[in-house]
Amino acid sequence: MELKDFITRISEATGVSGNEEEVGEIIQEAFRTLADDVYVDKLGNVIARKEGKKKSEAPPLMFAAHMDEIGFLVSKAEDGGFIRFEPLGGIDPRTLPGQEVVIKGREKIRGIIGAKPPHVQDAKEREQAIKMEKLFIDCGRSQEELNEIIQVGDFISFYQELTWLKENICAGKALDDRAGVAALSILLKELGNRSHDFDVIAVATVQEEVGLRGAITGSYHINPAVGIAIDVGFARRKGLEKERTLQSGAGPGISWGPHVHPQIFNKLKEIGERDEIPYQLEPVPFPSGTDTYAIQMSRCGVATGLISIPLAYMHTPVETINIKDIKRTGRLLASFCAEADEKFLEGLPCL
Amino acid sequence: MKELIKKLTEAYGPSGYENDVMNMIKEEIKDYVDDLKIDKMGNLVALKQGKGNDRKKIMFAAHADEIGLMVTHIEKEGFLRFTNIGGINPYNLVGARIKLQSGQKGMVSHEHLDSMKDLKLEKMYMDIGSSSEEESKKIVSLGDIAVYDQKTQFIDGRIMGKAIDDRIGCAVLIETAKQVGEVDNDIFLVFTVQEEVGLRGGRTSAYSINPDLGIAVDVTRTGDTPGAKRMDVALGKGVAIKIKDSSLITSQKVKKLIIDTAERENIKYQLEVLERGGTDAGAINLAREGIPAGCLSLPCRYVHSYSEVVALEDVENTIKLAVKVAGNSQLFQE
Repeated sequence: MELKDFITRISEATGVSGNEEEVGEIIQEAFRTLADDVYVDKLGNVIARKEGKKKSEAPPLMFAAHMDEIGFLVSKAEDGGFIRFEPLGGIDPRTLPGQEVVIKGREKIRGIIGAKPPHVQDAKEREQAIKMEKLFIDCGRSQEELNEIIQVGDFISFYQELTWLKENICAGKALDDRAGVAALSILLKELGNRSHDFDVIAVATVQEEVGLRGAITGSYHINPAVGIAIDVGFARRKGLEKERTLQSGAGPGISWGPHVHPQIFNKLKEIGERDEIPYQLEPVPFPSGTDTYAIQMSRCGVATGLISIPLAYMHTPVETINIKDIKRTGRLLASFCAEADEKFLEGLPCL
Repeated sequence: MKELIKKLTEAYGPSGYENDVMNMIKEEIKDYVDDLKIDKMGNLVALKQGKGNDRKKIMFAAHADEIGLMVTHIEKEGFLRFTNIGGINPYNLVGARIKLQSGQKGMVSHEHLDSMKDLKLEKMYMDIGSSSEEESKKIVSLGDIAVYDQKTQFIDGRIMGKAIDDRIGCAVLIETAKQVGEVDNDIFLVFTVQEEVGLRGGRTSAYSINPDLGIAVDVTRTGDTPGAKRMDVALGKGVAIKIKDSSLITSQKVKKLIIDTAERENIKYQLEVLERGGTDAGAINLAREGIPAGCLSLPCRYVHSYSEVVALEDVENTIKLAVKVAGNSQLFQE
């Protein structure tokens, strides 16, 4: 599958935390053409293995990007055919009025999040941002019709088609972190032409947005020698501090901080310099809210790294990326796999 | 069962000090299970051996601990300052009667405040009737934990008392052991420690047992009181099958297993979407490589106050469902 098609399909698919099957199917289909072995683990993580030259019992190199997205659950079907909802993941209620959604009940139905017209708001309402509990979904159906289809606990996903703003720049929902999943596909594809000593495991993790859950169980299961998470970082836009952001289209951010192993950091930087793959540095002083932290703390501890793909308007349905940064991430990590030899792995425990 | 509930809820057992409760449970359950032991964390693990050929392990968990107040400082005048063990709302403490492990009684009050909005735990103290630091030191030491001192009452099919969270779950598991009869699968009934401070006992016991299915039995909030925050769970509407809380999103197959069992057996149930809060099910779910987990919740008003209220009818439905889930010979259809 071409990268642009793959990104379009996985961005538009539903896959709210805890309900990742639909996007997981597409990812499995794509990974099957690129890896030696693809399966789904107990929590729903999609795991693709590309066998290393050594065929040894040595622990593998693990690369994780989460496939879940923020969304909602039906919390109550109210009189009159309106649906109240509960957020899954960090949602800014101010971005919600006017959005389209898909509710996955007994069948999939479309709905919209309505809001009170400005004409009839009082002065106070006009000044204040609307709260989540004031919002509801309208499916254009009566309560009786809805009761046939919907029950409490059904998953709700944003409905948003991916838009290509320019050749390499697209905007859509769930690019946090399906952009990372797309980078995993580039990594696997690149490895088709490169030889690597150790098994490489690419994992599309579940339930990251609600607490890194897929990465917790996934890294226990895989028990890797090295774990690198690929997630998204804040792209520089007006109103954001330069120091806390990455430039879109200027290459992936290589993170640096207490949850990153210095030798993994150095190796990634060294490869970027040598192969002339543009990259940026991203200092992360605290354990970041990414799968990296879960992998690092797994079992007896794992040497970890973190790559951040610049993404603007995080946690809105118009998340914006430059796909050049995805390709560069895949290439950077493929070179990392090709060069991770026994000597490199042996050096890791010695901080 | 009322007597059992009264005994369990009135017992002393904050997180880390669950011994008395565990001993009561042991006595109640010992004749109905095949194995009974306390593990390294202090969890009480009871096993009801299955008779099937291809036995799976089902783990039920209810936590034996309750929230409490830990003494941090003794004032010159004998009053005790404290910190919270578990989630405590200071407004629930004003005037509350408390007891220490020694049996020493007391009550909680607060410094003069111009506005009750300023009420925080650091403005509060325990009064144990002592009038000096020396006198208090003879009765308590730093780190001692007080719990609510409250008698449990039964009013019109409702149960009202402290620590219903989650001794009512313990009562459900005890009754499950008594009622389940012969089963195909191995049923582990685990009375966990330190749930209120971070699902700790649930985490280690799930690691150790490594079950094929984990089911927590715990309380949940309701939205059926005046001016309550919106929540579609009410007292008397049956056992609540958890869909989501902060610790767990129930997987489709676990949800199906529990709902199908309730439908098949005609057990009154409701579905629960809880905004905040977690249960042992979350810890079980993330143990090892991931374990399918769900939660049977008992709708409970005024959670973490000294007058938590549940409906006896909901308790009965929860027991019925727990017994039937335990009795399922096949867990998941592949």
